[in-house]
Amino acid sequence: MSRDRRQLLLMLTPYLVGLVVLVLLPAAATMAMAFTETDLIAGSRLVGWDNFVELTGDPAVRAAVGNSLSYLAVSVPLRLVLAVGLALLLHRRARAVGTARAAVLLPGAVPELAYGLLWLWLLNPIQGPVNQLLMLGGQGGRTMFGSLPPQWLTDPEDARAGIVLMSLFTIGETFVIVLTARLALPPEAYELAELEGAHAGQVLRRVTLPLLAPVLTVLVVRDTLLSLQASFVPTLVVTNGGPPPYATTYLSLVLYQDAFEYLRYGYAAAVAALMLALTAVAVLIQWRLLRRWASRGLVGGQARLPGN
Amino acid sequence: MTAGLSLHGVHLTRGAVTALRGVDLVVDRGELLVVLGPSGAGKSSLLRAIAGLDPVTGGTVKIGGRDVTGLRPGQRNVSMVFQSYSLLPHLTVADNIAFGHRIRGADRRAAAARAAQAAATVGCQDLLTRRPHQLSGGERQRVALARVLVREPDVFLLDEPLANLDAGLRTRMRTEIRAVHDRLGATTVYVTHDQSEAMALGDRIAVLRDGRIEQVDTPDEVWHRPRTRHVASFVGAPGMNLLPGDGPLRLPGVQASAVELGVRPEHVRLGGDGTTRDGPPGDVERVEVLGEDALVHVRLGGHALIARVPARTRPAPGDRVTVGVAEEHLHAFDLVTGERIPLPAGAGRAAAR
Amino acid sequence: MKRTVALLSLLTMFTATAVTAGCGADADPAADTVSLLVAGTPDELAAYRTLAAEYEKASPGATVALIEASSAKDLMTRVSTSIAGNAAPDLFLINYRTFGQFATKGALAPMTARLAASGSLHDKDFYPQAMGAFRWRGEQMCLPQNISSLAVYYNRSLFTKYQVPEPVAGWHWNDMVAVAQALTRDANGRTVRAGEPETAGTPVAVHGLGITPELIRLAPLIWSNGGDIVDDPNAPTRLTLDTPQARQVLQDFLELPKIGVVPSDVEMETQDHEARFAAGKLAMFVSSRRVTTAFRAITGFEWDVAPLPQYQSPANILHSDAYCMTKASSHQDAAWRFLEYALSDPGAALMARTGRTVPSRTSVATSPAFLSPGTSPARSQIFLDTIPTLRAVPTISTWPEIEDATGKVLENAFFHGDPLDKVIADLDTATRAVFQRGTAAR
Repeated sequence: MSRDRRQLLLMLTPYLVGLVVLVLLPAAATMAMAFTETDLIAGSRLVGWDNFVELTGDPAVRAAVGNSLSYLAVSVPLRLVLAVGLALLLHRRARAVGTARAAVLLPGAVPELAYGLLWLWLLNPIQGPVNQLLMLGGQGGRTMFGSLPPQWLTDPEDARAGIVLMSLFTIGETFVIVLTARLALPPEAYELAELEGAHAGQVLRRVTLPLLAPVLTVLVVRDTLLSLQASFVPTLVVTNGGPPPYATTYLSLVLYQDAFEYLRYGYAAAVAALMLALTAVAVLIQWRLLRRWASRGLVGGQARLPGN
Repeated sequence: MTAGLSLHGVHLTRGAVTALRGVDLVVDRGELLVVLGPSGAGKSSLLRAIAGLDPVTGGTVKIGGRDVTGLRPGQRNVSMVFQSYSLLPHLTVADNIAFGHRIRGADRRAAAARAAQAAATVGCQDLLTRRPHQLSGGERQRVALARVLVREPDVFLLDEPLANLDAGLRTRMRTEIRAVHDRLGATTVYVTHDQSEAMALGDRIAVLRDGRIEQVDTPDEVWHRPRTRHVASFVGAPGMNLLPGDGPLRLPGVQASAVELGVRPEHVRLGGDGTTRDGPPGDVERVEVLGEDALVHVRLGGHALIARVPARTRPAPGDRVTVGVAEEHLHAFDLVTGERIPLPAGAGRAAAR
Repeated sequence: MKRTVALLSLLTMFTATAVTAGCGADADPAADTVSLLVAGTPDELAAYRTLAAEYEKASPGATVALIEASSAKDLMTRVSTSIAGNAAPDLFLINYRTFGQFATKGALAPMTARLAASGSLHDKDFYPQAMGAFRWRGEQMCLPQNISSLAVYYNRSLFTKYQVPEPVAGWHWNDMVAVAQALTRDANGRTVRAGEPETAGTPVAVHGLGITPELIRLAPLIWSNGGDIVDDPNAPTRLTLDTPQARQVLQDFLELPKIGVVPSDVEMETQDHEARFAAGKLAMFVSSRRVTTAFRAITGFEWDVAPLPQYQSPANILHSDAYCMTKASSHQDAAWRFLEYALSDPGAALMARTGRTVPSRTSVATSPAFLSPGTSPARSQIFLDTIPTLRAVPTISTWPEIEDATGKVLENAFFHGDPLDKVIADLDTATRAVFQRGTAAR
């Protein structure tokens, strides 16, 4: 082993130790626990595949898988579009841009629990500001668009929409990454397009997005990994999985309830294994799609940033 | 005949920085004009003003007689090669070359055909399916050239296109650029800080300093009759020696205290052991050998002077030499304005004090 | 931040170890330190803090380390994880409905022997209904702190204003519904009846009744009607809501939203029953004793409590929390000494004065500390009168899951008017497997 590699390993050691002790070992223990019945009070008992068999018939898990996947399918793209849109809007120097950037970042800085409680108030069907706003100019208890106001916490569809809505404001991190990536793009690329007389749409489609593609790819995968868990606090605090039976019950909530409310740690570990598998499948699908697109030159899978 | 490109009194201010201070410039149709100047002189600003990338704060820009001062870059019909990064990394060479056509709505097949043709012009037809990161520096600039050639713009703008290449490649590429230009005969503005590149390429050279044009002339004129002391000292490697008019060299017929005298290193003759009457004596301080030639740093009456002599006849450091300069090789510049002073005919030889 | 905390706790641990080692075994200063894990609202937690302080004052040298959980569910998590982590609290307070899983798993230290040997606490000091709920396999596992039940909180001022007679003991469910209808009013004080054309679409300003669609609200009514909620209270295997007695109660219950006397789901999300009652917009509210503390802050109107209405015979459901001692505790003697204080007359009176509990200790329950003459509710006696009719839900380890699962079905049925047979079938499917697992775990 060369000196460089030894040094590299030495520098990595603290991280690797942390990774093994704090992540990999607990993860392995969890996977092992999935084959037991464990309540942490009495000893645990090996049950083989029983937990996984029960998973397949558990209505909460079934509903949660559907909910989690639909959340993934709606929230991840919307969050990305919003973050990219705002980053492109706010990358130029202009008046109040600093304030606007801070405003985009701010919701992400609010502690999750407080953020959830805030939305509980915002989404209050009658007194909440969201519906108050929607009903401005509306008549007879209808919104300004003439429809009935959304019943955020009592209608299944509206509640799911509410959870997605909540997720759309915590895009600060994604926003910062896109913003930084955009600022790092070479001005020549834009001048080149300008010289050819490209209009804004063409610049976006043919210059900005392809150049940002490597970053966006990473962000999509990252957001997918996170979003299965990201739905947890809002559902615990705002909807508690309801409206009943399982309108906003996501896997993270099922896991929490089984483990910490019903003390079924073994079964909850099986739910965790399911979550892990779903995440892996989602990322695998994205990765294959992106690779296919990259090979067709649709996204910059091969692209390098300037200077390389 | 209308000029290919003309600028009248162009001013350009960006923030607190004034980049161009009243530039007048006319480029003939089909001419290759090189803009030469040290860094910070405003060369790139001049190109950007022509392209419309930076809006001018005063003056007018005309392309082919058409006033484009108020037009956006896309409406000016110009093409530009940047110093670095002229290619989009996510596109293949073919797509990069065809980029402008595609933006302007050409269909994929027609654009590809034109791209292949342009690529052939600069000899990169074998690279069409590659991506920029798979290319060498020279190949990249070749592709960048093909990208501007694919259209027929009214003016080509090249912003130090060879600056990032190594010396050998630079020389080869500039020959090719000249060849392509001669074939196409397009009006071209070429920016560089490299005076040998300027000399080799330009039909004419515009020397830019501090946002102003000091001289626009053929390379010969710029070399032999620099309009200002700055042009004199900037053009040439090394540039012209400049000494006070009342120093060791004298030129009759001019007011010695009001001028600066210039002589190119190539025109300084060093002789013997400093005892001949050929010129004033000087001490050799340092000698740099550049293959066939040598640069000899001479201290002459308290002034530094560089002479370019054949390497085999060079003196050694510490030698005492006579410094001879033929009068026809002396240039005189006004001490205050720095402008060239026309010399009276039949002036005598420089003589020792 | 987290790291700092971790480092600090590590440091504390080392220091503690060093001190213990240095002092030797026979003079352990930590011997009289008891850790007590409790959950509750801020005023409940404040009451426990007072109790701990009073105990420390009364027995010099003793200290109580109070561990506060944010909710009953959080408490469950903490107990189980701390037992697993070998850091179990000495004592914790738990509802009998969730006590089953700790008792069956052998996590608790039985108290029968200590109680028999105690000089100050005796079996007969407490209501047997509460004691019985915490007995398992002949052993007294925990000692009850309170013995609450359901009552109807009512806005007395509204009854007076609309000249509706106040509820009396022995009133029927239908009486309550009639009263609720009479008190459901619009902003102008006119009665609003769902389904009547002249009042259709009129927004209700005051609702007649607030009751949550939960199994533990239905259970006493079903018992009152002569039915039961499970097949065998001692070894339940399924819900028995398909009996005629249970069906009738369920039907009546699910009828409430249709006749428009209860707030809709949207209204409930906007303002829960407790807040609605406190705001004077709910005439009656079915709840246990625990809301009393909050309601004592009401100044806008007079309120009182009435007995739960009945069908055939009086019946009510036990709500009780108890102090349990963990088997893993190393300070069991000290913990018992604390219990002796907490459940003594002065200790129990201290908790009774908060208003939120009905004391399990008979002497305190019948004293002014609980009955609190001059303070609302005036009719606190009804909580004591109902004690002989109290019944407990079955002791089964999966009971919390059964409550959650039935709650979901009932809430849906209540607000969206599912047909009765479907509701009963849904309740059965949602719980059958959970019962099965519970039985298996015993």
